Amino acid sequence: MDDQTGSPELFLFLASTVHDMKNSISVLSGTLENLLVQAQPGQEPQGYPQMAHMLYQTRRLNDNLMQLLALYKDLGKPDYPFDPRPVQLGELVQQVADQGRVLLQSKQITLDLEYDPEAIGTFDEDLVIGVLAHAINNAVRYTRDRIRLAITESDGWLEFRVEDNGMGFPPSMLEAGAAVGKGVNFLTNSSGLGLFFSSEVARMHRHRQRNGSIALENGGLLGGGCFILRLP
Amino acid sequence: MNSPLPTVKKIGDITDVDWSEKRYLIVDDFVGIRQLLRESLRNIGARHIDQASSGGEAMTLLSRTHYDVVLCDYNLGEGKNGQQVLEESRARNLMIPSSVWLTVSAEKSVESVMGAAEHQPDAYIIKPITEGVLLTRLNRVWHKKQIFREIDQAYIEKDYLRAAKLCDEQIAANKIHEIDLLRMKATLYLKAGETEQARAVYERVLEDREYNWARTGLGKIRMANGEYETARQMFHNVMAENRFYIDAYDQLAASLQMMGRHEESCSVLENATRLSPNSVPRQRNLGNTALRIGNIPLAEKAFRKCIAMGEYSIAKTVDPYFGLARVCGQKNDVKEALALLVIARRDFPGDMAELRAKITEGMVYHESGDYRRARKAGDELEEMLKADPARPDTATCMEMATLLFAVGVKDAPVELLCHVIRNNHDNQVLLDDVHKIFEKARMNEEADDLINSSRREASDIMNKGVLLWKTGKLTEAVQWMRQARQRLPDNMRILFNSAQMIITHMQKHGYDEALMTEANGVLMHVDQIAAGQQRFAQLIEQLQQLIPGRGITPVQPEAVELVEVDEEAAIDDDIAALLSEPAPEPPKRRSRFDHDD
Repeated sequence: MDDQTGSPELFLFLASTVHDMKNSISVLSGTLENLLVQAQPGQEPQGYPQMAHMLYQTRRLNDNLMQLLALYKDLGKPDYPFDPRPVQLGELVQQVADQGRVLLQSKQITLDLEYDPEAIGTFDEDLVIGVLAHAINNAVRYTRDRIRLAITESDGWLEFRVEDNGMGFPPSMLEAGAAVGKGVNFLTNSSGLGLFFSSEVARMHRHRQRNGSIALENGGLLGGGCFILRLP
Repeated sequence: MNSPLPTVKKIGDITDVDWSEKRYLIVDDFVGIRQLLRESLRNIGARHIDQASSGGEAMTLLSRTHYDVVLCDYNLGEGKNGQQVLEESRARNLMIPSSVWLTVSAEKSVESVMGAAEHQPDAYIIKPITEGVLLTRLNRVWHKKQIFREIDQAYIEKDYLRAAKLCDEQIAANKIHEIDLLRMKATLYLKAGETEQARAVYERVLEDREYNWARTGLGKIRMANGEYETARQMFHNVMAENRFYIDAYDQLAASLQMMGRHEESCSVLENATRLSPNSVPRQRNLGNTALRIGNIPLAEKAFRKCIAMGEYSIAKTVDPYFGLARVCGQKNDVKEALALLVIARRDFPGDMAELRAKITEGMVYHESGDYRRARKAGDELEEMLKADPARPDTATCMEMATLLFAVGVKDAPVELLCHVIRNNHDNQVLLDDVHKIFEKARMNEEADDLINSSRREASDIMNKGVLLWKTGKLTEAVQWMRQARQRLPDNMRILFNSAQMIITHMQKHGYDEALMTEANGVLMHVDQIAAGQQRFAQLIEQLQQLIPGRGITPVQPEAVELVEVDEEAAIDDDIAALLSEPAPEPPKRRSRFDHDD
């Protein structure tokens, strides 16, 4: 009896509640997306920007729930069902871009993509999609009208950059980005959860004594905030 | 507004699959999700979409229609969960090989990393589902199925060596599936008894990256070589890295069993069944191990679970009924034990269920101290053996002999043990076990004579076959071996030689449907007795090459060596003289189907 995760009843209860919440969020964001897509270009109905914002908030909810759940499931420890496999970058980008498509369109944000679609990386696809989709969502908040997702490969590292053309991250955010994963009390910061999740996902990717990492900086090609995920 | 994302619109272009003509089934207990998914499917062009709100409803629909794509939520509220629906529809053959099963869940599921030991869907999708993810995964699965189609076919035909070659061809053309193909290739080599080649594949994979399955594979090779302690450590390390890689648990339990550490083995299996309770073979294994160490409550729980799950499982067998009956016997509940045996006889006609039920009945009486009834069961068993010359597998025969001696029957167990020796005349470990049973029955003096004469009989029969073959009387040799198989139905060497001779006969005199079926039947029987033998894989490959239209590959040099039966006979002193003679040459080319002399 080496199970240490509390009582089984509580776990079942949590699991079914989470299942329920996921369903609700799915229906919420799905319905919003359908409404937004149906709007004719040039003659958007009243409340269109508000709907776009509702979608953004729904996505934030979804991201937070997913991150909490992953941490609850011991992300970063051997208990987490970590599953790295070879993935074609073209397929990865398609899935990430499609998740943000309607939201970006409705907020009139352009997504630039720069990657080699034929290239293959080995990583946990679901987790990396989660990290990148969250970074793009986050950039929606900071950008003016353009976000860039770029993936490059050099020296055995795969580098994912999510950049925007906004004013850049505030200093508190950059500090949180530098502190995460270094034992600093990150959760006092409002962006702490997403950063911690991302850094744990990065850290789980190990290859030849090298661990993945994340970083936040300002500048990049678009001059705004940059989120960087590096995987070995 | 111009679309700012032109690249994303081209999602469907990766492959030329037409997803609009496929038949879809959506299974989710939440109506909102069903509507949403239907919307998404329509957006990718789907027209034929059915829906089910529960596992039961899904089963009804699945048994009526062959769906091309099933999107099934893992969590379906009351009743069956998504995994059970998947297992049941596979067990009942409701899915065609090309159909795609996607399991949808709220969070990353533990099942997805458990390894090949469990029933896996074709892909997992985490909510919320977007069209991009859906289409990407559908295309990926479809593409993968194309790549594996021929390999899977060869696998089903048990032509493992051809399947391994097909893997190489596909690796060259499909870099993205290289890892999956290498994994398959290694598995195939293991099945074909080519452990060195399997090892090379695993080591090559591990040079690049640490994969659980490759580490576990290396452990399996160590175990096959008898290095149980090394293997145990390797499986243990895999488990330390990934607590859910269930295959490592099963292997660890097996390595402990081989070392006689049954208590530890039992607790490993107990942990494994806690992580993944829905595997019939694992529960059965747990039941047997628990019974062996006398943990009756655990054995009972495992066997009961086994029977409850078995209803729609491919793995449904009679074994847990016998196991549970033994458990009941040990608890002095003879009545329930007998009731279980009635079910076993009724639900599993064939499979030697009658005979095995009678053995278990005897054991139950014996263990519960009712020696009079135990003796009666023994007598009835003896009558059954007289009436039907067919004998069950080696383990059951030995079990039966032990029981018969214990209840005081003498002739029948001697006959059974001689049968075991004849069929395993070159297996020293087994012969020692047989000797122990004789000793226990206080038959030390007779034991050596009985064992030696049974061995002699088996080798004489085989040598005569080899002699006929060596002197060019091929048809007679094939005929002789046919009779030999009746007398020695489970003798591996007889079976292999018999198949070998039939194949050589066809190589010389042309393809023959009846001989083909016969050789295939013999080899499948061999595989059933003991899977994973090198010679099996080699003979199957030769046999498959004989099928008209298949013979693209010419008979290979190593195959030429194979048709020599010399080494098979080498263990028999009388035939040693024949070894110096060259074996008949097999045809060098394969254009002799019309040749009939």
